[in-house]
Amino acid sequence: MGKDFCALFKKDLRMLVSGRFFLMAAGFLVLYTAYVNLGYVRFMQMPPYHVYLYDPAGTQTETSSLVQNVPSLKAMDAALLSDANGVGLDAGSGDVRVVLYAGAEHIDHHRSDYALSLLQPSAGSAPEILGTNTPEQKARKEITCELLFFELAAVGFLGIAAVLFKEKDMGVIRVHAVLPVHKELFLLSKLAIFLLSDLAFALLLTLLNLGVGDGAAVLPAVLLQTAVLSLIMALAGLLCALLLKDFRQFTLAYLVIAIFAATPVFLSANTSVKFDWIGLHPFYHVYMGLKNAYFGMAVSPVYDIGAAGAIVLLFLMVRPAFYREIGKEG
Amino acid sequence: MTFSYGKDRQALHGLDFAVEDGEIFGFLGPNGSGKSTTQKILTGILKGHGGKVSVFGQDISSARDREFFRKIGVLFEFPYLYANLSAVDNLNYFASFYPREQRRDVGELLDALELKPEFWKKPVSSCSKGMRQRVSMARALVSNPRLLFLDEPTSGLDPSGAVLFRKIIEQERQKGTTVFVTTHNMVDADLLCDRVAFIAGGNIVALDTPGRLKEKNSRRRVAIDYLYQGRRETKTIEAPDLEAGIPFAHDEIISIHSQEPTLEDMFIQYTGRGLS
Repeated sequence: MGKDFCALFKKDLRMLVSGRFFLMAAGFLVLYTAYVNLGYVRFMQMPPYHVYLYDPAGTQTETSSLVQNVPSLKAMDAALLSDANGVGLDAGSGDVRVVLYAGAEHIDHHRSDYALSLLQPSAGSAPEILGTNTPEQKARKEITCELLFFELAAVGFLGIAAVLFKEKDMGVIRVHAVLPVHKELFLLSKLAIFLLSDLAFALLLTLLNLGVGDGAAVLPAVLLQTAVLSLIMALAGLLCALLLKDFRQFTLAYLVIAIFAATPVFLSANTSVKFDWIGLHPFYHVYMGLKNAYFGMAVSPVYDIGAAGAIVLLFLMVRPAFYREIGKEG
Repeated sequence: MTFSYGKDRQALHGLDFAVEDGEIFGFLGPNGSGKSTTQKILTGILKGHGGKVSVFGQDISSARDREFFRKIGVLFEFPYLYANLSAVDNLNYFASFYPREQRRDVGELLDALELKPEFWKKPVSSCSKGMRQRVSMARALVSNPRLLFLDEPTSGLDPSGAVLFRKIIEQERQKGTTVFVTTHNMVDADLLCDRVAFIAGGNIVALDTPGRLKEKNSRRRVAIDYLYQGRRETKTIEAPDLEAGIPFAHDEIISIHSQEPTLEDMFIQYTGRGLS
């Protein structure tokens, strides 16, 4: 049985190499890493709005270094015209007057309060800091988690389906029906190769973007959650590829999954948008499992049992679909 | 053997036949007649049949284990191969599931099937349909099967390829391999098979040797083309009338054709329809 598994594994590996799957995965790894290190982290460190101060008499003495002084009201208008999100502070008349281009009301209040707070940065009460992550660490963990979730949910799902559709088109699945091999090994070898590939991807992505120290600390939990998500997505990909007729139908199904499964999860997990029913969405729990792993939070044993149950259930659904496929007409 | 796809689609209505060890058995029928269903049951792919089906003397329901699959070889109608792998890699891959001592040498097989050596290591996607069919045949034979199932073995082959395949199948029989052929091709069936079964609408309507099937329905007549007084003429007479010589005046005999029916004529006679 081990020899048969090795033969299947080797064949799947060659299929993926010839389909340039690993090259594509390496490309995504470079792209994500460049995005995190050269774009996202720098962007997150930038101030939310530029603040321009007109203070000809020099009445504001404690201003933050984030405030940019302008020589005249005309210069402030010009700055706000080219930076419509910016906030102007006019201290020319003694009192400070806020000048800004109106947007959404609650955002405008935030912009205004933020700008005024920069005039006396030491006056505000220091908030209690929860957790040990620096803002940069937090940003890195959040974005790495999102990118890994996207990679596993989208690329892994599509990748395994693409391989299976290729084998369906070539008809070779049917040959396996008459080979002296346990038919389940055909599925298990694919799951194993995608699992290993996803684990390697998660390992590299985490170490490259969190750094070796921070990355190594969260790696065991991240790899465990990666394994859960990888198996669920690979089995879902296999099931769709076995039940649907061709890759075109599959991509349509994938769009539906992407829109209805992934979007509410990202919205609920990363923004202030909350849906009452999100707790019933299985992907939300999977995503939160991964996020909790990155932030060193404990995962509920109920979730672990649920994830294991989902994997077993999906495998039990894939098995008959596979047997149906290998018994089909030529 | 009976089989039904769901409640209202009975595909096989009670087939009853036996194939002898070392025999080449032809299974002939039009599309949708139940040929493929029968072959799938016999190869262990399709479960849920009715009646009793024994292969190698064992009930197929309990015999679908690795040992069973080691003893059979299957050539599908279409050349199912990994297009990105070469012929040699395909054969090595499929052979790897069989015990080493059972496997045949890949090079010898490709040689016997006359696949040009320059295509041995090229991806199968660069081969013609005929070449792929040869590699597929090599795949079916690589495990040295005791029972060989062939589905339309010569489809997609040129005439010389078809002759080669028939020679290979004949060699297999000489080794003692039992061959179960499903085909539309009456020439293959006539030239290769020890016995043939005609299947139509899920029933076997005739089963015998090709010779006897034709003989039983022969009108025992011969058609003679001849020249007489400068004119070419044709006459059909009863075959026994020839015993005393040509029973009419003639100057020169051009040809004598027996009016024995073809296997296709027999098929149409038994089933009321053609094979296409």
